[in-house]
Amino acid sequence: MVNMQQFFMGVSIALSFLVLLCLYRAILGPFITNRIVGVGAIGTKTLIVLLLMGFIYDRVDMFVDISIVYALLNFIGTLAAAKYFEMRGEV
Amino acid sequence: MIITYEDIIIKTLTRVLAPFLQLYALYVIAHGHYSPGGGFQGGVILAASFILMVISFGLDTARRRLSEKADIIFLCLGLLIYSGTGALCLALGGNFLDYSQLVKVFPVTVAKARALGILFVETGVGFGVMAVMTSLVYDISTGGLPPERE
Repeated sequence: MVNMQQFFMGVSIALSFLVLLCLYRAILGPFITNRIVGVGAIGTKTLIVLLLMGFIYDRVDMFVDISIVYALLNFIGTLAAAKYFEMRGEV
Repeated sequence: MIITYEDIIIKTLTRVLAPFLQLYALYVIAHGHYSPGGGFQGGVILAASFILMVISFGLDTARRRLSEKADIIFLCLGLLIYSGTGALCLALGGNFLDYSQLVKVFPVTVAKARALGILFVETGVGFGVMAVMTSLVYDISTGGLPPERE
C-alpha cells in the first residue's frame, strides 16, 4: 500500500524522465521550432513537479505562488525566443 | 531595434495579462516576509510586464507608458527608500537597517516596527529591480544609444 506522498514522488520521477525526452528534442531538434516547443514543454513539466513537491511537503499555498511565476516567465521567454527568431528570419 | 507586427493573439493576451501581472507583483512584494518572494522577485515580475509590452507592442509604445526618464526616477526612488530606511535607523541610534529603532518614529510595537521596516526595504528593492530590468531591456533593444540618436 502506497501512501499519497510516495504516489506524488513516483509521479515526479516519471515527469523528470519525460523532461529528459523533451531535452533530447530541445538539444537535437532539427529546427528552431522543435527546440522552442521542447523548452516550453520542459517548463510546463517543471511547473507540475513544483506543485507535486508542494503536495509532498504539505505547503501547496507556498508552491502555488512559485509555479504561477514560473508559468508566466516561461510564457514570456517562449514569446521572446519566437520573436527573436522571427526577426532573424529563421522560422 | 524591436519591430512591431500585427499579431492579434499576442496583443490581446498582453492587454489582458499585464494588469494581473502587475497586481501579482505587488502581492509578491507585500507578502514577501511570510511567503516565497520578496522585493527582488516582485520587481522582476513587475519588470516582466513591461518586457511583455516591449515584445508585443514594440519599444515606442512601451516607452510611452514608462519613459526612460521615469525609469531613472523609479530607480533613484527605490534606492532612496532602501537607503533612507537604513539611514533613518542609523540616525535614531541603532545599526544600519536596525528596524527596531523605528518605534521612536511610528506608534507601534517593536515586532510591528520590524515588519514595517522590512516592508519599506522590500518596496525600495522592488522599485529598484523593476527599473534596472526595464532599463536593461530598453538598452538592449536600442543598442545602448540614447533616444534622440537611434
